[in-house]
Amino acid sequence: MRGLNEADCPLPPFPLVLVRERLRRGETLSAAAAETARVLRLPEAPLLAAARSHADLVADARATRVCRGTSCELSGAARVAAALADDGPVRPVYCLGHCHRSPIVLDPDGDVRVEVDPDRIGAELGRRAPLPVAPRIESLAPEPIVTRRIGRGDFSPLAKAQADGAWFVLDAALSRGAEAVLAEVERSGERGRGGSGFPTATKWRAAAAAGGPRVVVANGDEGDPGSFVDRVLLERDPHGVLEGLALAAFAIGASEAVVFVRSEYPRALERTRAAVAEAERAGILGGALCGAGPPLHVSVVEGFGSYVCGEETALLAALEGRRGEAQPRPPFPAERGLFARPTVVNNVETLVNVPWIVERGGAAFAALGTQHSNGTKALCLNAGFAQPGIVEVPFGTNLRDVIQDWGATPCRSDELEGVLVGGPMGSFLAPEASDVTICWKALAERDVRLGHGGLLAVRRGADLAALARHLFAFAADESCGRCVPCRAGSAEALRLADEDLVAHAPRLRELLATMSAASLCGFGRGVPGPLEALLARVAPA
Amino acid sequence: MSERASIDGRALEPAPGETVLEAAGRLGIAVPALCKLPGAAAVGECRLCLVEVDGQAEPQAACHTSLRPGMRVATASARVLGLRRAALALLASERAPALRADPDGSEVERLMHALGVAGRGAASAPDTSHPLVRFDAARCVLCRRCVSACADVQGAFVWNVEGPGQAAALRFGAERFVESACVACGACVDVCPSAAITDRDRADAPAPEARTRSTCGYCGVGCQIEIGTAGGRVVRIDGAAAAPVNRGHLCAKGRYAHAWQRAPDRLARPLLRRGGGFEAVSWETALAFVAERLDAIHRRHGADALGALTSSRSTNEAAYLLQKLFRVRFGTNHVDCCARVCHASTAEALRAVTGTGAASASFDDIERAGAIVLAGANPTEAHPVVGARILQRVRAGARLFVIDPRATELVRFAAHHLALRPGTNVPLLNAIAKVLVEEGRFDADYVAGRCDGFVSLAGYVQKLSLDDAARHCSVAADAIRAFARELADAGPALFVTGLGLSELTQGVASVRALANVALLTGAVGRPGAGLLPLRGQNNVQGNADMGAMPDLVTGYQPVTDPAVRAHFAALWGTPPPAAPGRRLPELLDAAAAGTLRALWVQGEDLAQSDPNQTHVLAALERLELLVVQELFLTETARRAHVVLPAAGALEQSGTFTNAERRVQRVRAALPPPGEARPDWEAIRDAARALGLDWRYADPAEVLDEIARAAPALFGGLSAARLDGDGLQWPCPAPGHPGTARLHVDGFLRGRARLSLVPYVPSPEADVAGHPLTLVTGRVRDQYNVGTMTRRTPLQALAPCDWLELAAPDADHLGVADGERVRVVSRWGETAVPARRSARLTPGTCFLSFHQPESHTNRLVGPQRDPESACPEYKVTAVRVERIG
Repeated sequence: MRGLNEADCPLPPFPLVLVRERLRRGETLSAAAAETARVLRLPEAPLLAAARSHADLVADARATRVCRGTSCELSGAARVAAALADDGPVRPVYCLGHCHRSPIVLDPDGDVRVEVDPDRIGAELGRRAPLPVAPRIESLAPEPIVTRRIGRGDFSPLAKAQADGAWFVLDAALSRGAEAVLAEVERSGERGRGGSGFPTATKWRAAAAAGGPRVVVANGDEGDPGSFVDRVLLERDPHGVLEGLALAAFAIGASEAVVFVRSEYPRALERTRAAVAEAERAGILGGALCGAGPPLHVSVVEGFGSYVCGEETALLAALEGRRGEAQPRPPFPAERGLFARPTVVNNVETLVNVPWIVERGGAAFAALGTQHSNGTKALCLNAGFAQPGIVEVPFGTNLRDVIQDWGATPCRSDELEGVLVGGPMGSFLAPEASDVTICWKALAERDVRLGHGGLLAVRRGADLAALARHLFAFAADESCGRCVPCRAGSAEALRLADEDLVAHAPRLRELLATMSAASLCGFGRGVPGPLEALLARVAPA
Repeated sequence: MSERASIDGRALEPAPGETVLEAAGRLGIAVPALCKLPGAAAVGECRLCLVEVDGQAEPQAACHTSLRPGMRVATASARVLGLRRAALALLASERAPALRADPDGSEVERLMHALGVAGRGAASAPDTSHPLVRFDAARCVLCRRCVSACADVQGAFVWNVEGPGQAAALRFGAERFVESACVACGACVDVCPSAAITDRDRADAPAPEARTRSTCGYCGVGCQIEIGTAGGRVVRIDGAAAAPVNRGHLCAKGRYAHAWQRAPDRLARPLLRRGGGFEAVSWETALAFVAERLDAIHRRHGADALGALTSSRSTNEAAYLLQKLFRVRFGTNHVDCCARVCHASTAEALRAVTGTGAASASFDDIERAGAIVLAGANPTEAHPVVGARILQRVRAGARLFVIDPRATELVRFAAHHLALRPGTNVPLLNAIAKVLVEEGRFDADYVAGRCDGFVSLAGYVQKLSLDDAARHCSVAADAIRAFARELADAGPALFVTGLGLSELTQGVASVRALANVALLTGAVGRPGAGLLPLRGQNNVQGNADMGAMPDLVTGYQPVTDPAVRAHFAALWGTPPPAAPGRRLPELLDAAAAGTLRALWVQGEDLAQSDPNQTHVLAALERLELLVVQELFLTETARRAHVVLPAAGALEQSGTFTNAERRVQRVRAALPPPGEARPDWEAIRDAARALGLDWRYADPAEVLDEIARAAPALFGGLSAARLDGDGLQWPCPAPGHPGTARLHVDGFLRGRARLSLVPYVPSPEADVAGHPLTLVTGRVRDQYNVGTMTRRTPLQALAPCDWLELAAPDADHLGVADGERVRVVSRWGETAVPARRSARLTPGTCFLSFHQPESHTNRLVGPQRDPESACPEYKVTAVRVERIG
């Protein structure tokens, strides 16, 4: 029954990618979906319905995207949006990943504008020079891992990356064998950096043990609003990420890899594509790895504007041409993922650690950090801090020390109302509560969710009710629509919050409790965290 | 030994892969789950199945939590009940304002009642545009059961959740539901938990007082149905869940097309022609008249002057008795059935090649198939339940290869589609065989071990030219080559065929050429492979099986064989005559010529369904006696001398045999109207009127005699044994389990025969002044001549026959969509509305024959296959003219 055995087959085309290509050639969405379905021998109606479910595919392509991430929101994004709306279509997005220079907008032609002054919109905005706007990047670890290149400049050209050691680890690993790579990662004890903290090697082992052709996916759509390290990694160290991806593929025996980059990061997308092309031309990717290893084909896919596609099952659904919705587990992607193939989905930051781990040994990685959390973690400090940027800290560092010493003013406790840690699905901490060790176990014991490491300073005097309302709006806007508690709960909550946040606080608490206990995925389960804390401040029970 | 788990304190052994929800179900513990369909993947939407699991801080969804050894689960803690209530309240409030707590309401509303969630019960404005299915968006809870049923059972993909995140809503892809792609299979209705999607036929009907398991009376798939009756009428028909044929699924015809049963113009009394009209008479009078006339004609003109046609819509028992009556009482073999005008070519060819004319494979082979060849068949319209099974198999990865002039629905999913010119199967299939042979892409062991004639076939096809074939078929040579190569690479395929291979002057040749390809690829007799002709009518297989054939008596036993005649002489007291009788078209020819004077027609509308309608009508007019058993006064019945009111499929008992040789029980769910009688009973009574001592008390007794008549095939059949899933013949002995797959270890005839099949162009090819080639056939929402379906709400979905034209042809002719046009062949003409169709290639047009006013069969000519006598419905040279 060869007809059913797709072993050694390349991945089928990604339907929504083809739909978008047609859209960009000027076809209507329904024509683009119909023709794509016909070519791919797929039923038409589900593809059209899926296409209509992805924000980028239904949005006005001429719209200016205004970042409504929390950092930008606190910096006046609403006024920016209102001012821009006079000039043309505007579309809110979460988020553009420049939280250190809020507020941000993204032009239809792909240029990012930072620190947009809502009072000087118009000609002023047009004259503003586009990026580069490099954040401050430092490492407090004995030696940098995540930031080993991005802290020193732009390593996106292949030659520069290779001069810094990129791709040599893979080359060496090919002769050591897949098991050696797996064993090093296992020894390192690395856990996923996207927020859930799932052990990397466990995923890899599961996929390696599964039958049939396997796939690895770099999740470049995972940053919570407030975290931007993935964007910077893809822009300045794409070869580091790709080398990690190639090592993962080699370790689990995958011949297909995908880098999924959110459309809100146009520069990261462009650099990643360029890096793959350059690595292919150099004979590193595309065919046999480094010209000698097993084959690896890497596709770079632009996201479709749905925040929840950072959730791995939603991401895979989108790649398959379905609605970007969280899916029930099991089956876990490592058993049955993209197009039913065993699939490892790793976050960008997780992958960039891998070459370091394989080169220096898992033990060296494990030597950093605490007993329960190995290695380092990149934290992103937003524009609310006096000194925003990315700081890499070894696990075991005290969060308050980072906030006060590295982020500095206005983070002295008398000026700080609180810190939103880990974005909208993280935790809202009062200054005194930030005295906690950055360590999976310690954080869990204090019920602090670090998420992807975004830190957002909320100054004393900030409108916490408005912040809460913003987070309710975020939940309602980005709920994928899959499960009842999150879909209907977030809609109901936003309606009540808009009506009277304080008066409806008891009902809002009920809704949040239902969402956190009953939702399908981490989005609906996570969104209530900071909101419950904010409600406690705004409308004490 | 594995550790046990417990649910609500009740211990159980976890089964591999079992979810907590399934395990709870096994213990009879009810956990609500609105979005989970048994057998389908978990959706995770409703969150009502949350349960507490020891050691887990948060509740877990039972539908996607595996039960593991040692796990302790509580399904009804105060906390999960609270969460369930909260989730249900959100679900009901969100976009389903029409829902309200109701102990007798829909599944959701009963749950609301149980959990104390009131709901709003707001008024709503459902979409009632569709005659069969109603949609009320204000009741939709977005559980997606319908999405799953529509995509993964039917494959229509009507229901989809659309819109980003919060805006997610259930959509059907059209403004009004009637304009959607819905095929009204009802699968979504069956699973909808909130009565957002409902059947209109049972909306105001009383609850069934009785349910009768029976076999659907439409196509040859043989779906098992549950007929719900109340107050002496059918109130609903549902698919029988466990049936192997349809697994609970039905099509619009099976599920909804039952209103014919209570149509006001049903025949309820026997009618006798008196002068220009009919007079209602008693059965006694009618049968006495029939007996007297038959005897008189027999006396005066001999056995050759009488004939009978059994009905493929009626039971095996009725067919058996009618052929027996004519053979025994009048000594004539002039018996045939409508198989002659559909799959006669298939049966003839396969009998010669393999030893039996019936399918070698079963429907269950569809789910085992790695490759499926669909040749001249359009199952998603004509055999919808099988069409859906094929579609699902292809979605699961099987390769589909289509040979059809039209781009039928399944073509979208096909790896290859060869859109050949109608009537050119032979050069196309020969060309495929050529590629297989020349490139060594055939199963040499199979061919050497099991087939005769390879050397001459190989020599023959090697002399053929692929370019010639391409020219004959209007298909690129490269496409033929690619088709053949990939087919060979895909391994043994299941060959699903239809009338596009059979209703041709080269029908037998087409099927032989197809069988060559199947044999070369080693497909016949293997699992997931083989030959599976889709029989058109519910019991067309059975009619042939029963001996409603002029040369073969019950069980395909040749009348020319003295041993066969001796066997029947012992059984019947009189042997069948030795000389084969006339076949159906020849009977009509004889009638037209005046040599056939009396014809008994059991439930077949020859006047509308047979080709060359003008000739058929002349033949019928000339008969001295035409006896018709019918439900309605059809075009044929109008011309009868005696019309005997018949029972329909819902009103009589016996057996039908489907396309996979499965003999299944038919059970009357209610009595026929008035004095109408089941066919078997009417024939028994006619036999008595003719002086025969026929004592059959019920159809089961007839079946017992059938078992004795052809023990090799049917010896093990009995009414009692057929309860449940029926039996597939051959079933030679009482304990025999039946036969799902034929030719497993050897062919019934020993070795299979590869055939040399020269191409002979249709006489309808390249006819001067008739530039288009007409294909006639069926559409999804009607059944054959529409006698039944036209009297149901399905008529609203397909109210007329459309001439489908390729867009360039329509443009060339200047014909607008909806415009009535004149279609002219060398044999007749008719006027029908035309429309463009993307399914056709220029030069080919299509017309269905469901409505009497279309007179489609005036166009079809007298050409027949020389071996099978099957008419050429699929190729007619026509021209299309604008009117006025």
